[in-house]
Amino acid sequence: MTRAIQIEGMSAGYRHQPVLRDVSMAVEEGEIIGILGPNGAGKSTLFKTLSGWLAPLSGTVSVFGTPVHRLPPLERARRIAVVPQELDVPVPYTVEEVVMMGRTASIGRLSRPAAADRQAVERAMVYTDVADVRARPLNELSGGERQRAIVAMALAQEPRILLMDEATSRLDINHRLEIMQLVERLNEESGVTVLMISHDLQLAAEFSRRLIMLNQGSIVADGRPSEVLTEAALRQVYRCDVSVREDARTGSLSILPAPRTRAARSGNGRRVHVIAGGGCGEEVLRRLALSGYAISTGVLNRGDMDAEVALALGAGLVTEQPFSPIGESALRQALELALSASAAVLTAVPFGTGNLANLTILERFLDMGRPVFVAKGIETRDYTPHREAMARVSALLSRGAVLWSNVAELAALLPDSPASEPPSPETGNPGSAAPLPRLPAVKSPDPD
Amino acid sequence: MASRDRTFYLVLAASPAVLFLCLLLGPAGFGLPDWTAQREILLLRLNRVLAGLVVGAALSTAGVVLQAILRNPLAEPYVLGVSSGAGLGAALAVLTGFSAFGVFALPVSAFCLAIATLAVVYLLASSSGTAPSLYSLILSGVIVSSVCSSLLMFLVSVAPVEGMHNILWWMLGNLDIASDLLLVITSGIVAAGCLGLWLLSPEWNALTLGHDMAHHLGIRVRVAVGAGLLLATLITAAAVGLSGLIGFVGLIVPHVMRILVGPDHRRLIPAVALGGGAFLALCDAVARTVLPAEIPVGVLTALVGGPFFLALLRKRRKEQWIA
Repeated sequence: MTRAIQIEGMSAGYRHQPVLRDVSMAVEEGEIIGILGPNGAGKSTLFKTLSGWLAPLSGTVSVFGTPVHRLPPLERARRIAVVPQELDVPVPYTVEEVVMMGRTASIGRLSRPAAADRQAVERAMVYTDVADVRARPLNELSGGERQRAIVAMALAQEPRILLMDEATSRLDINHRLEIMQLVERLNEESGVTVLMISHDLQLAAEFSRRLIMLNQGSIVADGRPSEVLTEAALRQVYRCDVSVREDARTGSLSILPAPRTRAARSGNGRRVHVIAGGGCGEEVLRRLALSGYAISTGVLNRGDMDAEVALALGAGLVTEQPFSPIGESALRQALELALSASAAVLTAVPFGTGNLANLTILERFLDMGRPVFVAKGIETRDYTPHREAMARVSALLSRGAVLWSNVAELAALLPDSPASEPPSPETGNPGSAAPLPRLPAVKSPDPD
Repeated sequence: MASRDRTFYLVLAASPAVLFLCLLLGPAGFGLPDWTAQREILLLRLNRVLAGLVVGAALSTAGVVLQAILRNPLAEPYVLGVSSGAGLGAALAVLTGFSAFGVFALPVSAFCLAIATLAVVYLLASSSGTAPSLYSLILSGVIVSSVCSSLLMFLVSVAPVEGMHNILWWMLGNLDIASDLLLVITSGIVAAGCLGLWLLSPEWNALTLGHDMAHHLGIRVRVAVGAGLLLATLITAAAVGLSGLIGFVGLIVPHVMRILVGPDHRRLIPAVALGGGAFLALCDAVARTVLPAEIPVGVLTALVGGPFFLALLRKRRKEQWIA
């Protein structure tokens, strides 16, 4: 049996910047596959190449043994149907007219639809629950009805492969389940192969027997839902902490934000000092601020990207002249500011002789018995002549500093018990301000 | 829908009736001219009615197809610069004295420059060998169009008074056709073009849903868009060569017909071709009969069209093409 879809060594996207790189996958006829991945992972590009709308930059995409771009368009439309996330229909076509357009490939030019066409349209409308509104213009319907009519159009094509691009994300839970059950039934009865892009991990896990996870243009996981949806993989790909539980009764997976993430979200204004620079600390600063930590950072050169971010977030900040090595007085100020924090974080910042002094801050933290968190991979970022930074960071680690590799992991590591709170920092310190700049409250105009 | 069916056949039936009515109208008085006694008058009226039918059908059909391809309710036959190109061609013909070589010189010159303008617009829009996007098509249409317009203005400004009058009179548009042969040739081009565009109705239907969706439904998008632009420009250029610039027909008629017979192009295109032809022939008959002095028909269609256009813009705020 030839495979429904065979992709080999495919790159696709923009000529100078491929979105998908060297992707290979095979899909047997009759599979239901969920395509997962964060925004920008290349899911939509994958669908565009599968449907022949975008030619691959290299490699091959075959559907039932024929390269997609060599299929005659009418033949392609009989094999593959696409349900987009939404469809803008600027003229007042009725629902029935739109669903009938699913038969474009089989109705002759200017001839009337045959009995088989009418039957396919009728069945598609009944299945998707839009038969009652068939005579109404599509753009007068509610979002859910409109989306179901578009699903009906794809079903009317009677395709062997159905590509659903976040097709149910705008539906209410009732119709979402109905559409998914409908797709499942089509799959069981007529062997339709289904690929669906979804941001609803749980729904994808529920209805797919196989999940493919994309990240940064490559397939990073491919297998049964329980194999793909692991906490470690999700943390790696989505950069946030979730907990995956298997329901003991039904075996279905439930995916929730991890409890500790929720705890971390209330940082309670505890302060963390961040050693950053050159934009390497941007994500850490933002995530800590969002989690409710008060943050301080320094020493940074004025105009440094991280300094800008810190200012925007209302963080405490100590700066040095642009393009100058860290001086005595700046370091003293930074120490003063930093030592009222309850923990310190070293981000993935490169070190040269100019900013080496920042490591002193971390050493003082350990002296005082406070936790220090160090980003992995200092060996790739040490540009000091005698590998001094590496030596000093190794020393920190041997004295109890903890390694972290991504922000989600860091958020989980940071102390959140009030016991680790240092003596209350002096007031008036810029770093102890609210972590996010507050907008002035809008006064209610009506007298109360 | 049943009511749309009814109006469709009504439009098909009413158009010949309106065309016949136009034959009865003229400065010589109401009534069908006698074949033996007033043969000249009858032939003159037949000539004008046929010209109205051909030009109206061409502009309306081109308008409806461009609206589908560009997915824009404000698209009309002149949106891609055809009118300014043709105007430039006509002005060149008048000023170089080329138009003195016979009645065909000016129309042919206008026709050729109109086609050349589309070619330039298309090439400018499709940079680096990819199919042009809708926005780049519209944008390069606007740019090429304004370059042609300023060249035209320059030519008009340096033209002698006689030449300037000729150019302006041509630009206002009129259906007084000097050559029967020219009328016959133009009719042939327009008839063939409209038929071709009608045969591509499934393409226009699908393209209205978006070019990617049309692709998924089995349409050869690049071929269809290319053929549509070419045929629409061909019939527009032929009509403009025949009658000069007549505005608003290509914008109003598609919208009115879409309300009357629905947006399905298999019915919309015949309705628009016949209805547009009848509308322009009627406007012309009114322009030379009812009003005390004969005014160019292009002025009348714009006078009717202007207010309609504003009303359309107001309705457009409801986020759909008037339904």
